[in-house]
Amino acid sequence: MNRLLIFIFFTFFSFKAFALIEVDITRGNLNPLPIAVSPLSIDENSRKQFEKKLKKKNIGSEISIVVEKNLKTSGLFNPLNKDAFLQAPDIANLKPRFEDWNLIKAQALITGKVSYVDDKLRVEFRLWDVLAGKEMMALAFTTVPNNWRRVGHIITDKVYERLTGEKGYFDTRIIYVAEEGPKTRRIKKLAIMDQDGENNKFLTLGNELVLTPRFNPTSQMVTYLSYFRNLPRVYLLDIETGMQEVVGDFPGMTFAPRFSPNGKKIIMSFAKDGNSDIYTMDLENRIVEKITNHPSIDTSPSYSPDGKYICFNSDRSGYQQIYIMKSDGSNVKRISFGKGLYGTPVWSPRGDLIAFTKLHKGKFYIGVMRTDGSGERLLTENFYQEAPSWSPNGRVLIFYRETKTDSKGEGFSAKLWSIDLTGYNERLVSTPTDASDPSWSSLLSN
Amino acid sequence: MKHLISCEKVRLRNIDQGAIMKLNKILKNAFLIIFACIALSACATSKKSTGQMQGDVYTGTDTVEYLASGVPDRVFFATNESVLTTASRETLRKQAAWLRKNSKITIVLEGHADERGTREYNLALGERRANAAKDYLMTYGISSDRISVLSYGKERPVDSGSNPLAWSKNRRSVTVKAN
Amino acid sequence: MNRNIIISSALHVALIMITAVSLPFLAKKPIDLPPIVSIELIQITDKTNIPFAPKAKKTIEKIKEKEKKLVSEQAPPKKVKKIKPDAVPMPKDDVKKVEKIKEDKQNPEKIDDEVKQVSEFEKDELFDPNNIAALIDKSKEETADTVKKTDKVTQDQQKSVSTTGLSLSEEDALKAQIFGCWSIPLGLPYNENLLVRIKLQLKPDGTVVQSEILDHARMNKPGQGFYKVLAESALRAIKLCQPLRVPTTGYERWKELQLNFDAREMLEG
Repeated sequence: MNRLLIFIFFTFFSFKAFALIEVDITRGNLNPLPIAVSPLSIDENSRKQFEKKLKKKNIGSEISIVVEKNLKTSGLFNPLNKDAFLQAPDIANLKPRFEDWNLIKAQALITGKVSYVDDKLRVEFRLWDVLAGKEMMALAFTTVPNNWRRVGHIITDKVYERLTGEKGYFDTRIIYVAEEGPKTRRIKKLAIMDQDGENNKFLTLGNELVLTPRFNPTSQMVTYLSYFRNLPRVYLLDIETGMQEVVGDFPGMTFAPRFSPNGKKIIMSFAKDGNSDIYTMDLENRIVEKITNHPSIDTSPSYSPDGKYICFNSDRSGYQQIYIMKSDGSNVKRISFGKGLYGTPVWSPRGDLIAFTKLHKGKFYIGVMRTDGSGERLLTENFYQEAPSWSPNGRVLIFYRETKTDSKGEGFSAKLWSIDLTGYNERLVSTPTDASDPSWSSLLSN
Repeated sequence: MKHLISCEKVRLRNIDQGAIMKLNKILKNAFLIIFACIALSACATSKKSTGQMQGDVYTGTDTVEYLASGVPDRVFFATNESVLTTASRETLRKQAAWLRKNSKITIVLEGHADERGTREYNLALGERRANAAKDYLMTYGISSDRISVLSYGKERPVDSGSNPLAWSKNRRSVTVKAN
Repeated sequence: MNRNIIISSALHVALIMITAVSLPFLAKKPIDLPPIVSIELIQITDKTNIPFAPKAKKTIEKIKEKEKKLVSEQAPPKKVKKIKPDAVPMPKDDVKKVEKIKEDKQNPEKIDDEVKQVSEFEKDELFDPNNIAALIDKSKEETADTVKKTDKVTQDQQKSVSTTGLSLSEEDALKAQIFGCWSIPLGLPYNENLLVRIKLQLKPDGTVVQSEILDHARMNKPGQGFYKVLAESALRAIKLCQPLRVPTTGYERWKELQLNFDAREMLEG
């Protein structure tokens, strides 16, 4: 009898597995995820303390505004209007009424609490899945009050990572060249700011021309080109101490510097007698190596994230094209074959793509291609734009664009723009002055 | 008479689509060819009309300064090129003669590019242009000790405009007295 | 004279014919363009640009004050000139000079507190967010399981094999509903094999009794962050769509249903 039951049971099971109806869902909407960022709650005492220290009336809502702006900028999220929120911040942080948040179509919810503990800022925040009615993440930070903006950026990074599966890029900075004055006598200074354009600072005075600053991916060091005393040379700058030095002892112009992924080498071009080749210098033992040896122009080198390959720009075919080679200079291979000229190749930190500037029929494009040159995609087209730099997670590119301000093409302005890999989310990155040559830092905290 | 025929054809179009499609193709090609001819002739005339450029090398004198009477200070290049033109060679021969006469003078050759290129490539291109001028001066007996080379890429245009003429003025190598 | 008129009229006729025949062709062309994919273009809002200007001025002023202290070695021209008045130095000199100035400045000011405070972040996780049990939603009705199963045996025997599966229109209705609910996470890579299979147990009105991710072991494997994100988005879609638009008849056919979520097609486009 028992056996028979088991037999029936098994036949039923196998039948059921065979008969289970499957429906393939291959489409959905590409709308940004609706998310509610509840202002971080704050008790009256803490609020007063922070108001005294930071001159901000309610630091809790200020932080949530930073988060909200970041999420919106990413293009992947749609922060909902706070006026529609039904629950007070303090209660929401304890136990959100998911029905209320569901009502305004929020799919995710951020709540939190700020408090003043021993002269420090303590922030606790939670991410909720509104539809499942459960908590997805809860974290707390303690830091000095002046760091409040960074708290907002770190919260965004954590939320972004939890909801998209890839690391964020919000607790980062951008170094760039601030520009002023007429085109024929342009004054250029190094400047640095947070990824969202806040906390802008100038690092040089503009007495000499500076170009192409690039962050070290592992530290607060920057390498750039300076025309100090009319000798264009690659320099190193430590942002923390302000100290600078010339890189190497070259009898001619060095330019187009970039760090290796481990931050221990600088790769750059050295021009002599009308020929530019690529060199590296080890920052520890100062050993200089010549990587390319070709009578054409070889410039704009950039390492792959594993350090094994280098992509660069060369006109050995007659025109500017993109090439890759092994990091010792062997196996040089051209990868760009589309119509037009290709410049400024930059290897993605994820390793899968190379971003570039393309010139074709009087237009400039920012695009990406796979590392074998296939799958070229042009993300944005304009009259003049160049110099893409990757966000540390390899999803967003920042670059600069010059636009004419009148019909005669006389006045012009240069600004930083960002675009993500979909090509749809293009945004102006506001800077106090004109700006060019942006370079994105790694995440400041992990 | 001919008008009548064409009217007939237009009417025909409604009746026999297939035949007209073929005709359509032929006519379209003819149309394109005529259009291309017109466009080309327009190009040819516009090139002549600028006057200050030969090919796309600047031949005017608006921006030129003089190291001494009759010795222009700069030479111009074609897009993406560092080859010296006949006019450039003549200018450089004058400079060489002047330098031989004034043997204490040292010079800096400043190479420039137009804005239609990426910044780093243009730095290299400016260096290549200045060196083309340097090499030529050296073949006319000027010691390399007296010449230094400096590339500005596209950082220091003389004409801030964004048109072919402005760009042609900016593609240059300028000889500057260093002492 | 006559010849001229003939040539002229012939050319006119040619022109008319060309326009008559080729223009419709040109006009037709736009129809051949691929259909516009309806994706929301996010424009740069005024908000991001306008309010910055006044703020920026203040920050610049502040920075200018700060700058006086923090200037780079290159920047203060007076000092530099005092140290080395001679002409064009070689790069080596620059290094020496830089070092000299370093010494001059006994206390190099901190350019920026924030940079250093990276390490000062004390981070602690309050909860373990990776909870497998929570992913399988067994919120309701686990009791009636055994009863149901015995029911099924008898009913399944009665059912003919040919009726398995939903009809095309039934399937389309369900798909269309879920398409609307599923916000595809835009950050997912398009070149990875990400297929999330979810098994549902449904009530006759389309309410979801239980939803189970079939590869849920993959959810918490390291390096499967994207899979987890996709799975969670699929679960949200099902929640959002409740009750599902199920056929009015044949409950036994679809009381258990498997949905296969695959975003590749969308992400590629």
